[in-house]
Amino acid sequence: MNKPLDSVLVEVIGSALATIVEEMGGTLVRAAYSTNIKERRDCTASLFDAKGQGIAQDEGGSPLHLGSLMGIVDGILSRYPLEEIKEGDTFIGNDPFSGGGSHLPDIVLATPIFIGGELTAWAANLAHHADFGDRGHAHIFQEGLRIPPVRLIRQGVLQQEMLNLILLNCQVPHERQADLRAQQAANRLAVQRYKDLCERYGREVMVQAADELLDYTERRTRAAIAAMPDGDYSFRDKFDCPELDDELELQVRITVDGDTIAFDFAGNPPQVRASVNVVWTALYASVYYSLKSLIDADIVPNAGLYRPVRIEAPTGSIINCQEPAAVNGRSETCQRIVDLIHGALATAVPERVTAASNGANTGVHFSGRNSRTGREFVYLETIGGGCGARATKDGLDGVQVHMTNTSNLPVESLEAEYPLVIEAYELIQDSGGGGRHRGGLGIRRAVRVEDPDIHFWLDTSRQKSQPWGLDGGQPGESARAVLSEGARPIDHGYTVLQAGDCVAIETAGAGGYGSPELRPTGEVARDLAEGKISEDYARTVYPQQFAQLSPQK
Amino acid sequence: MTLRIGVDTGGTFTDLCAFDEATGQVHVRKVSSTPDDPGRAIVLGIKELLEQMGGRSIGEVSYLAHGTTVGTNALLTGRGVRTGLITTKGFRDLLELGRGRRPHLYDLQADKPEPLVPRDLRLEVTERVRHDGRIETPLDHEEVRSAVRELKAKKVESIAVCLLYSYLRPDHERQIGEIIAEEFPEAYVSLSSDVMPEFREYERLSTVVTNAYIGPVVANYLSRLRQRLAENGLTCTPHVTQSNGGIIPFPAAESMPVRLVLSGPSTGVVGAAAITSEAGSPNIITFDMGGTSSDVSLVQDGEPKVTAGMELDGRPIRSPMLDIHTVGAGGGSIAWIDSGNHLKVGPASAGAFPGPACYGNGQDATVTDANVVLQVLNPEYLLDGQLKIDAQASHRAVKAIADPLGLTVPEAAQGIIRVVTANMARAIRVISVQRGYDPRDYVLVPFGGAGPLHASRLAIELGITRIIVPETPGAQSALGLLMTDIRSDFMRTQITRVTAQEAAHSAEDLSKVFAELTDHALAWFEEEGIEPERRSIQRRLEMRYAGQNYELPVDVPEGPITAESITALIEGFQHAHDRMYGYSARDEVAEAVTFRVQAIADVPRAAISRAAAEGRKVEDAVVGLREVYLAEEGDYVSCPVYDRRLLDVGHHIVGPAVIEQMDTTTLLLSSDVCTVDDTRNLVIDIRRTPNE
Repeated sequence: MNKPLDSVLVEVIGSALATIVEEMGGTLVRAAYSTNIKERRDCTASLFDAKGQGIAQDEGGSPLHLGSLMGIVDGILSRYPLEEIKEGDTFIGNDPFSGGGSHLPDIVLATPIFIGGELTAWAANLAHHADFGDRGHAHIFQEGLRIPPVRLIRQGVLQQEMLNLILLNCQVPHERQADLRAQQAANRLAVQRYKDLCERYGREVMVQAADELLDYTERRTRAAIAAMPDGDYSFRDKFDCPELDDELELQVRITVDGDTIAFDFAGNPPQVRASVNVVWTALYASVYYSLKSLIDADIVPNAGLYRPVRIEAPTGSIINCQEPAAVNGRSETCQRIVDLIHGALATAVPERVTAASNGANTGVHFSGRNSRTGREFVYLETIGGGCGARATKDGLDGVQVHMTNTSNLPVESLEAEYPLVIEAYELIQDSGGGGRHRGGLGIRRAVRVEDPDIHFWLDTSRQKSQPWGLDGGQPGESARAVLSEGARPIDHGYTVLQAGDCVAIETAGAGGYGSPELRPTGEVARDLAEGKISEDYARTVYPQQFAQLSPQK
Repeated sequence: MTLRIGVDTGGTFTDLCAFDEATGQVHVRKVSSTPDDPGRAIVLGIKELLEQMGGRSIGEVSYLAHGTTVGTNALLTGRGVRTGLITTKGFRDLLELGRGRRPHLYDLQADKPEPLVPRDLRLEVTERVRHDGRIETPLDHEEVRSAVRELKAKKVESIAVCLLYSYLRPDHERQIGEIIAEEFPEAYVSLSSDVMPEFREYERLSTVVTNAYIGPVVANYLSRLRQRLAENGLTCTPHVTQSNGGIIPFPAAESMPVRLVLSGPSTGVVGAAAITSEAGSPNIITFDMGGTSSDVSLVQDGEPKVTAGMELDGRPIRSPMLDIHTVGAGGGSIAWIDSGNHLKVGPASAGAFPGPACYGNGQDATVTDANVVLQVLNPEYLLDGQLKIDAQASHRAVKAIADPLGLTVPEAAQGIIRVVTANMARAIRVISVQRGYDPRDYVLVPFGGAGPLHASRLAIELGITRIIVPETPGAQSALGLLMTDIRSDFMRTQITRVTAQEAAHSAEDLSKVFAELTDHALAWFEEEGIEPERRSIQRRLEMRYAGQNYELPVDVPEGPITAESITALIEGFQHAHDRMYGYSARDEVAEAVTFRVQAIADVPRAAISRAAAEGRKVEDAVVGLREVYLAEEGDYVSCPVYDRRLLDVGHHIVGPAVIEQMDTTTLLLSSDVCTVDDTRNLVIDIRRTPNE
């Protein structure tokens, strides 16, 4: 056992590792071709140690990607003997059941970093390739090409045949190829930067510093858990998605015991013949995100966070699904896992939790032939919504919440690339739940199509229920999709749109926090003046405050 | 006979520099800033400066340039004017929705920046332009008229106008501008197609709204200051620095205040570039460390690197600016211990008040306190005795950090220095390594009150082997004002394929756009009354592979654009791509996106005098010995303390040593060798890496 490094040096190296993943993420975004990466930043970069423990993750990415990245190094190590993994190799993978990702569009590239001939770390990045459009979601074989961890580059040589196989299975191969180049560039850069650090500090010190960074995160996590009151906490919630006719009931039981915490998902429904199943890596990512955001937002996101946490979920259930479950829409369910955890811990840490957020990662998928280019296109956008009210503040209006944090696609970029027109992109009046602190407003995004036979798929949630409030706060509005007259109705999330049809997606608002009676009149007045609530809403939800305001009207 | 004056207003001090063309001498003055009315300190400072120069008259001043943070402060403190917005139907909430991301990935308590225009002052009008510039729905003029009347009734002072695709087709915005002029002529108006004709509607919107919000504040400030200076006898037209490091006359700046957000920091960079180019080192990294933050930037071949935008307080601002990266690491940054028992420094700062513990009001250990404990800083007084230092207070504050970490007080103080050095190194990696430049190829140029204190360790951290400390590091920005050109930027977004196969065609397309922009530049020269021999024009193209959305700048050489220059441009782009991302994709098509033309008017600048050695001995500059803690030696080491005023050209100092001057202190480690060059800079060479 080496003598511990001084903590300042560990801090310095931790900061250098954080710089590397940040730079990887920047490179990927700037060099990529597809709108989902270059503008929406649906990608995440990270570094792992030789054993596959995460040591740094780019905070410009999305928490759910952690799940997609978590299994990759394990997946490689379990498939290939160590001595066969060589310098200059880069692995590609996307299959949730063989350690590649948490749904098929998330393609991961992982590159081993060798120092002095010894495998020392891994650079890995994930990009959500908006492809595999207009497929089915009854089981994973319908959802796109499954790629187990295989070499895309073998000792510096691109495996063109492998790439050809992958590209042939994609609707927009030119974009895929360019995006994969950008992903390679990100890893190449990380390898170089990591080597530079080893040159400066020495391999031994780098490895030891990474170990100590994990210990450090573990210490902080344990300290924060210990500060929570011990006890058992549980919560249940309704879950819906367009593909399913019925609502499901999701639940969690959480036990805080000293400096450890356990999440028990017993009793959740079996996996379904729809896209909303969650593989264990995505479940873990959801739990880790919830924990970190509830206990200490500044904890360095690495694998040390996992050590005081136990997670149990029944095999074959919707939140720990097995092959051949479809998983493309798993983020809907993951968002609700976060809501469940907030609901459960509301009595333990009322000042940290939020009321229910919009409860979805509303995805709109358009695909078809673009008459301007004569080529196939796939456009994916996920639309934010209300963020739950907090104990001392209103919820944020119209943002990406919890497991995702992608950017929107600028209209001026979208319309130039796709045969689509955005007619409105705005907040929805009255969609936030009333309360001492108001829930965030949902978003309305209206899209008109300009070409015939455009396939549309909507994955969302909270169409059948409302995001709940806390401590007397009211629920937010549900989500819905509104079609222009004459358009073919949406059936289980799907439809085919014709030129001139318009679909307006309205995402859910969020729950309020605290009784509406306690909201100061001035804040009601401001919401009214800004049109965030209507007079009718104010009269119903805040009758006393409204009465005070009325004489002045 | 002519005097040139530079004035830089900072949060704490207003720095002034004068250059006397007759004697070639530079004079420096520092007065306390007057944040409630910054012009007061400026006028006072000018009087004191002229007095100091032997009673010169303000009428002799032929040139006055100013760096200001008035606009930036109005933005950061929410003191802009009541502003309205007119935008395309369906998009009034874009200002709040932004790019849709939440402000912090994990912090659920974080808030988005307050929109500068509240929702009830954001009005929509019926109109729609498409991505190819075609008008799909014509502008409804009556709707505009009633929107303007509504904003007038709601007592806005300023109106921002931002419509979709206005960078391609500004017609509707211009029509709205005309209607505002008819209905509400006293309003301050900003059209996005004037302020920032670039693609991406949210970034353009945020920029034009910021411009409108701070516009009247900046315009009032500049016009009042102009009047005040005239009343005091100034006869020349005063100029102000823009974020791009160039200066423009006050009246021209009043319509584009958003281009002034980096007015202050950018002048320091320009000055450093000028000084070190003169000293034969045109490739530098500037390191401006003040009380609350550090600004770093990179200068290549004497030209500061530029960028097209930044985020300020969570709001994107697109404007030509120097690529300056700011990190919350300054002398006042507070040291603390986190829940995992790690030592952290900043970004919280003790600021001007209470200030570091050693100033007598604060309790928290700051970077300055660490330097006092280590005795790198004079433990008795600073600023030539104007500021008393309570070393015991520093000791107590640092001990509170040392005890829980199980360190001695000097070890903890050294830990604070190491952590803050790592933070600064990280900032420098952003503007060097992350942009494809190796910091080891650059000279580090520290300035600001605290830069020279930390430069040596920072250089070692980055592998830099040479440091140049300018003569007046504390007044660098004011000095920079005497060394900058008048310049204005013109730009246009027009996506244009650039291919070798159709080189002649591409050359024609590019020439056309550049010709138009060059016409604007020439018209500007005329308006400014710049004589032809002082004019020059730089052209730059931002290029990418068709399919990407981020561009890389490629310089376009002077002269007509021909088929040959197209090949060179493509080659230049491939090279830039390779440098930035480690590959180029020669099978892909390149395209030009943003065309930029910069008009530069040469102004007579302060020439740096080459001083002859006066024959003093370096030993005579030693004013004492001080026990300084050097981690590299593991103990307090007796170091000579030099008075910089007594140092002379050609003097040679071997570290460890401390060099004190009025507003800064330079630390030489035992690995450092310092020479005073013939323009009085300290040139420090790091001979070897000390053991740490």
